[in-house]
Amino acid sequence: MNAWLLSILIFSPLLGVLVLMFVPSSDEKSIKWLGVLGTLFPLGIALVVLSAFKMGGDELQLTEKFSWISYEVFQSKGQVSYPIFYEIGVNGLSMVLILLTAVVSVLAAIASFSIKQNWKSYFILFFLLEMGMLGVFAAQNLFLFFIFFEITLIPMFFLIGRWGYLEREKAAYSFLIYNGVGSAILLIVFVALFMKTGTMNFQELAYTFSLPQAELNQLFITKGFKMGMLIALLVAFAVKLPVFPLHSWMVRVHVQAPPAIVMIHSGILLKIGAYGVIVFGAGMFPDQFKSLAFVIGLFGVINLLYGAFLALTQTDVKRVLAYSSVSHMGIVLIGLAAGNTSGMTGAVFQVVSHGLISALLFFLIGALYERSGSSELSAFGGVAKRMPILAGVFLAGGLASLGLPGMSGFISEFMAFLGLFEKMPVLAAVGTLGLILTAVYVLRAVLSITFGAEKEMPESRDLSSSERVPAFVLLAAILFIGIYPAWLNDMLRPTLDAILLGLGG
Amino acid sequence: MSAVPLPAYLMLALILFCIGLFGALTKRNAVIVLISIELMLNAVNINLVAFAKYSLNPGLTGQIFSLFTITVAAAEAAVGLAILIALYRNRKTVNVDEMDTMKR
Amino acid sequence: MLQMSWLIPLFPLLSFILLLLFRKSKSESTAWIGVLLTGISLVMSIGVFLAVWQGEGIKTEGTWFQMGERAITMGFEVNPLNALMLVIVSLVSFLVHLYSKGYMHGDDRFPVFFAYLGLFSFAMLGLVLSPNLLQLYMFWELVGLGSFLLIGFYYFKPEAKAAAKKAFVMTRIGDVGLFIGMVLLFWQVGSFEYDEIFASVKNGDLSSGMLTLTALCIFVGAVGKSGQLPLHTWLPDAMEGPTPVSALIHAATMVAAGVYLVAAMYPLFQASEAALTVVAVVGGLTAIFAASIGLMQKDIKRVLAYSTVSQLGYMMLALGASGYVAGIFHLTTHAFFKALLFLAAGSVIHAVHTQNIEEMGGLWKKLRITGPLFLIGALAISGVPLLSGFFSKDEILASTYADGKYGLFWLAVIAAFMTAFYMFRLFFIVFTGEARGETEKGVHESPGVMTFPMIVLGVLAVVAGYLNTTWFGTFLSDYLAQGAVELPHGDHHGPAWIPLVATLAAALGIALAYLIYQRGTLSRDWITRSLPSLSDVIYNKWYIDEGYDQTVVKGTRGLSKLGVLFDRYIVDGLVTAVTTGVQRLGRVGSRVQNGQVQSYGTAAIFGIVILLLIVALTGGYFS
Repeated sequence: MNAWLLSILIFSPLLGVLVLMFVPSSDEKSIKWLGVLGTLFPLGIALVVLSAFKMGGDELQLTEKFSWISYEVFQSKGQVSYPIFYEIGVNGLSMVLILLTAVVSVLAAIASFSIKQNWKSYFILFFLLEMGMLGVFAAQNLFLFFIFFEITLIPMFFLIGRWGYLEREKAAYSFLIYNGVGSAILLIVFVALFMKTGTMNFQELAYTFSLPQAELNQLFITKGFKMGMLIALLVAFAVKLPVFPLHSWMVRVHVQAPPAIVMIHSGILLKIGAYGVIVFGAGMFPDQFKSLAFVIGLFGVINLLYGAFLALTQTDVKRVLAYSSVSHMGIVLIGLAAGNTSGMTGAVFQVVSHGLISALLFFLIGALYERSGSSELSAFGGVAKRMPILAGVFLAGGLASLGLPGMSGFISEFMAFLGLFEKMPVLAAVGTLGLILTAVYVLRAVLSITFGAEKEMPESRDLSSSERVPAFVLLAAILFIGIYPAWLNDMLRPTLDAILLGLGG
Repeated sequence: MSAVPLPAYLMLALILFCIGLFGALTKRNAVIVLISIELMLNAVNINLVAFAKYSLNPGLTGQIFSLFTITVAAAEAAVGLAILIALYRNRKTVNVDEMDTMKR
Repeated sequence: MLQMSWLIPLFPLLSFILLLLFRKSKSESTAWIGVLLTGISLVMSIGVFLAVWQGEGIKTEGTWFQMGERAITMGFEVNPLNALMLVIVSLVSFLVHLYSKGYMHGDDRFPVFFAYLGLFSFAMLGLVLSPNLLQLYMFWELVGLGSFLLIGFYYFKPEAKAAAKKAFVMTRIGDVGLFIGMVLLFWQVGSFEYDEIFASVKNGDLSSGMLTLTALCIFVGAVGKSGQLPLHTWLPDAMEGPTPVSALIHAATMVAAGVYLVAAMYPLFQASEAALTVVAVVGGLTAIFAASIGLMQKDIKRVLAYSTVSQLGYMMLALGASGYVAGIFHLTTHAFFKALLFLAAGSVIHAVHTQNIEEMGGLWKKLRITGPLFLIGALAISGVPLLSGFFSKDEILASTYADGKYGLFWLAVIAAFMTAFYMFRLFFIVFTGEARGETEKGVHESPGVMTFPMIVLGVLAVVAGYLNTTWFGTFLSDYLAQGAVELPHGDHHGPAWIPLVATLAAALGIALAYLIYQRGTLSRDWITRSLPSLSDVIYNKWYIDEGYDQTVVKGTRGLSKLGVLFDRYIVDGLVTAVTTGVQRLGRVGSRVQNGQVQSYGTAAIFGIVILLLIVALTGGYFS
């Protein structure tokens, strides 16, 4: 059983697809319920995987490896074989992200109740998307990673393009073009790495690149090659993260995609960028990564401040949150740039924490949109009167987003900045301006919705019980991480330690 | 017999092939195009036969292979002409330029 | 007892959670949950205080999480300073809970108010018990949250919304300073623990520049929270909250947290002369600046708010002038008399339903309990001898003088004069003379739940001064001397004429107020008439808010607008360029795709030729 556990997890969303095939596409209710059940199943397996996962082990766990594709090439140095394996496994970092994926998917499926049409194809695409995400985090070689990475793109494209708001098609195209360019770069890098080293396995690659330069010369791997690869990787993942100035597709997607999909997108898909930078960037090219640390930190601070400044005057709450995502991803970069224990921990905490927080906030905005038919700030006011629970959770989410202690956002911001202050105090001091701006724009958005004189809305019922589940689960998770970060920290520590060892502190 | 050297055969084949290629790519009449393709195939046949005779270890493989090619070419010409006639009945033309329904 | 002191903050937290669950309850007896639970905290705090009085102390910590080799710890510590704060906080919190039972009568969200009060009390008590800077910072922010929620309690009022936001943002600016200071210290010392920081400071591990920098950063945090110049503007606006909140948060406890922070980090400040001077100067300037604004305000709560800012300035001045005990002493007495004044003001507002003093008058006869209590508070804050404010203010003046800061000393004396003047201006206008406005009908004294807390505070406002007097004994300074903080040595009792000067200043202020507002000997507007421009500036709070609006707020907004344009035209332009580029490329591609087999064939032939050429030129495989 254990030997297959991870594969079962990755492909478990396909069961949902299979079952949905047999349901008539007009049967709205059972499709929606099956949609939720179909995501609960992977969550259950993810929990089984979690229980099988030994905390504190630094090696890969639950690995599976099968020979898949293999071919020989005649080269001047003779016949070289290029084997590609199907190999998956989890370490602390990917375990956490898989868990996050499974949880957010369930909640997003619940949030998908507000989808108005084509439920069947919606959920089929949704399941494919979930499979892609799970696979990305479990993949242990470049080839599989790339395949799953691409699998996430296509359902996303259709989900945005068919179920989004007015300008959905434009948003879907800019999503596809930007991410397509990103993954094209990724593909080139992967192929180059494969040709040079003859392996695609993450660990083997990391080992190869950690060899002394004299041995690397025999493989025709120069320092310049490594640097080039790293920069190309960073650019590819910068599109995904997104990093200024490659962020505008993401703002469009946040504004145009249906809320449930934005939960997934902002909660998990953006995190693939961070995951990639950590695993491929810091994990494989530590020396080069260190020499680029200042640039990365600079981009982090720019992201942080740029996002915050732009969020200040937006009039659409979805845009506010979109720019806030840009800003918060800056914190991930800041933590990575610091390259020390606290910085790395902060970056990964921020990945998880922002996943939860933005999922929560977009969920609530979806709920608000459903009631008022608008997401303009000026359309709301005094929501706290008729919908105290919605307003309360929204305020709590906003506070978590601005880094209130006791919530997950604080831990990550604190750790990231703590790390950066050790390495680049001046840059970090400039970055702290972002903490003030974050408070300003979050409060501006939250207060103008929940406080003030009450404005008329077509519907003004408070969160229904099916809506309370995602809201409260996410809030509880945010509080749990904020109050007891040791749990997450213990999970992540071995993986991060291994990466930090490469970075040398 | 041996007065004719290998390069001469190859030159002949090359010239034939080039004529065929030119015809296949430029002629507008589909019949001419088909004929040009036959020319190219025959150029290949000449090569095969020449190499069968003059290579390091001469054998019959090349000659037998060229027989196969001739057979296949005949079949191909039959099928090609059949399609052409069918097309002509429908469109009243054998002009290659006008056969771009795939694009439309 | 001491081992259990970590439970003290948890009772208000429990109250918060319980009351949130009962938030829909219409019954006002839910208030008793809050009163009872903070009462337990109060009893325990007094127990802890008595134990510490006998010289005990405790510090317990556990690992919160592990960061590399460094463990980040959480725990609690009881030392003389924070045991005193515990009592002050839990006492005022308890009394305010009780008072609110009457004051908030009839409010729609009665239980929610008490829940927020519980949250605030939890955070404030947690802040006080923190054994390290990180934990302090966390509760520091939570205290800000409590304040934010309570200021914005009347969420439907636009002013309350703006005030809550302003309070949060302004204190956040200070908090970032504290954050930077804390993190810098961490990398210098390797720990957030007070003890280890102080040990390193003592060993001289930090360069003097770093000491000053960190001390100043931490002071910025204190400036934000305690409403010192130039971050004071949120505090008067915070008066939009219900009056008990102003008494609890914006007079007695949270705003004093800044003073507490400086006191708790005192060894760091002591090590840097420059930092101490900055503290003293900021404090002194704030004291006189806020007092001057207080002279002309018309809203009863705003007068008290500016008075609070001014008194907090006094405390900072004391700390900056090496008057550690004096600062804490004034913090204690101020907590009592200012909470009393606010509660009394709340009682007045409760009676007349207005905050504008020009619509009040002659209330002395109608409010037979509130009136005398307000008078006691006013006397105490003015520094009239034998009441608490006299002793603590005298001590501040003495230590300022002894520290050689003569300029600040005279500023403080003038501020004392102003304090006496504006307090009695308030008193005379509100309580004496004829009833003004239309609200005098149906004015009645507040119920017992409201007067009882005021009476307790009234008694304390009178007697708290005897904690530390040169006449009966310096109990407080002996008590504080047990603490971890090494008190500055030396005689802080300046020349004997200082109390005389202070008393004279107070008497002058009271007399002037009497002459203007009671006897009418001097016309009310003689100052306004003689110095129109100055009084205009003072009346408009020195145009600080407007100045911030014009510079910081406009600047930020402008920058943001600029960013939006940049995003729209340059970054989005990039997107459009990329998408149109891709489309153009596609169109070129589709033109090649013309459906002509022959052109495809040509392309293929050219491709093969090129490939063959490459193979021919490189001589084989690519490598």
